[in-house]
Amino acid sequence: MLTTLGRSALSFASYLGEVALLMRDTVGAILLGKIRWRLVMFQIAEMGFRSQLVVSVTGAFTGAVFAAQTYFQFHKLGMDSAVGPVVSLSMFRELGPVLTGLMVAGRVGAAIAAEIGTMKVTEQIDALRALGVQPVDYLVVPRATALMISMPLLVVECVGFSLIAGWFVATQVLGVQEAFFLENMRRYTDGYDIAWALSKGFVFGVIIVFLSCYEGLNAREGAVGVGRAPTEAVVRCSLSILISNFFLSFGLNIIFPTV
Amino acid sequence: MSSSPETPVIEVQALKKRLGTQDVLRGVDLQVRRGETCVVLGRSGCGKSVLLKHIIALMRPTSGRVLIEGEEITGLPERQLLDVRRKVGMLFQSAALFDSMTVEQNLAFPLKEQGIRDPKVIKERVTEALDMVDLLGAESKMPEKLSGGMRKRVGLARTVVGRPRCILYDEPTTGLDPITSDSINRLIRRLQKRISVTSVVVTHDMKTAFHCGDSIVFLHEGRVYFQGTVDQLRASTDPVITDFIEGRSGDAD
Repeated sequence: MLTTLGRSALSFASYLGEVALLMRDTVGAILLGKIRWRLVMFQIAEMGFRSQLVVSVTGAFTGAVFAAQTYFQFHKLGMDSAVGPVVSLSMFRELGPVLTGLMVAGRVGAAIAAEIGTMKVTEQIDALRALGVQPVDYLVVPRATALMISMPLLVVECVGFSLIAGWFVATQVLGVQEAFFLENMRRYTDGYDIAWALSKGFVFGVIIVFLSCYEGLNAREGAVGVGRAPTEAVVRCSLSILISNFFLSFGLNIIFPTV
Repeated sequence: MSSSPETPVIEVQALKKRLGTQDVLRGVDLQVRRGETCVVLGRSGCGKSVLLKHIIALMRPTSGRVLIEGEEITGLPERQLLDVRRKVGMLFQSAALFDSMTVEQNLAFPLKEQGIRDPKVIKERVTEALDMVDLLGAESKMPEKLSGGMRKRVGLARTVVGRPRCILYDEPTTGLDPITSDSINRLIRRLQKRISVTSVVVTHDMKTAFHCGDSIVFLHEGRVYFQGTVDQLRASTDPVITDFIEGRSGDAD
């Protein structure tokens, strides 16, 4: 029992260590100026641009249902005008980044792990090395750069759509006074909340890209091995996002305190 | 490092490799001189491919040394290996073409990595390499549309396009029909004559060995069992070798 526990603790520690080494190599390559901008642009289009539909639909419907539920509860207390700030704050601070993170983990994380995993088992990664190209420079750096740029923007887009949908449901469908809705939303939402969303988006982007690249680079031979890589990537990314979000909220509350 | 003509281009000293609990290589020594083609024979799983991957440092030895043109590469960090690897080309067993690129992009890739930017030069070199493997006109095809033999030939073109001084072939004819195999063997021979590269060919195909080899190394149970010329191999009466050449399993019927 203790040995099993110890063994899994050890393998978890070595997993974290290997991901950290991958991050070190990537950051090292970026600092050495090994960024291939053409590949970065391609990845931004592939991972960022093409995730917009998923992310905006997620944002819109979450914002809509959230506004409706808040209205149902607050209406009893006669606090209709609080719907705006409640939706806005929770979307900026928690739901926007987390939902975007989960959706992107599913869409992009799986794709990264599957693509790199396939390259691994078909010797394409060895071929890169044999041709004198560092796989980290060619595969990880462009994806990491692209996602670190795209994720904060996707989070803002998600939150933006959620606010529009929330506004629509609250004021146009449920009859909340538009002026109060907007004014209260504006008063209680400040730059810190946006910084909060951007920071979380960035961190989740880092989590997604490194965990997924790691799964791809360590994919095992055969159909089963390649098949497992994306599954593992999505599961690990999603859990890491949810868990780290909790600690991030505490950390960010110190950096960007709630006034 | 300057290398005198006598320095072997590829030198492997007491190479040992342990994978998991299995000793794959148990002390292999190998020397390949400039312009020579060394064929490494052996049964599947005897460590031939592992040996090859050590020569281009895709794998790190448990102990022993690998020298390329007199320069030790065993302990070099990845980034410093990149220059060594540009001297040595490798044809992978599966050809390992980049499946997100066309044939032309696959061939242009090593050139661009060498810092060649002029599109005219790139085009010329790509055409030349494709001509060498008789695949002119396949430039815009994607790798998945090619047959196994064509993929191997494109892989070979990608290996030579960067003009390496050594080429390592990992089972160049495995899985190909006899006629395509023969064309690959001729290609290997032609490359030796035309650009006088130093080569190591890993195979279990006797035709390749007899057709291409200047010297033969026979690996058995992780060690060099026989080393000599093609004629010496043919004249051998050692049962392990004669069984291999004639394809006898050694089991009683």
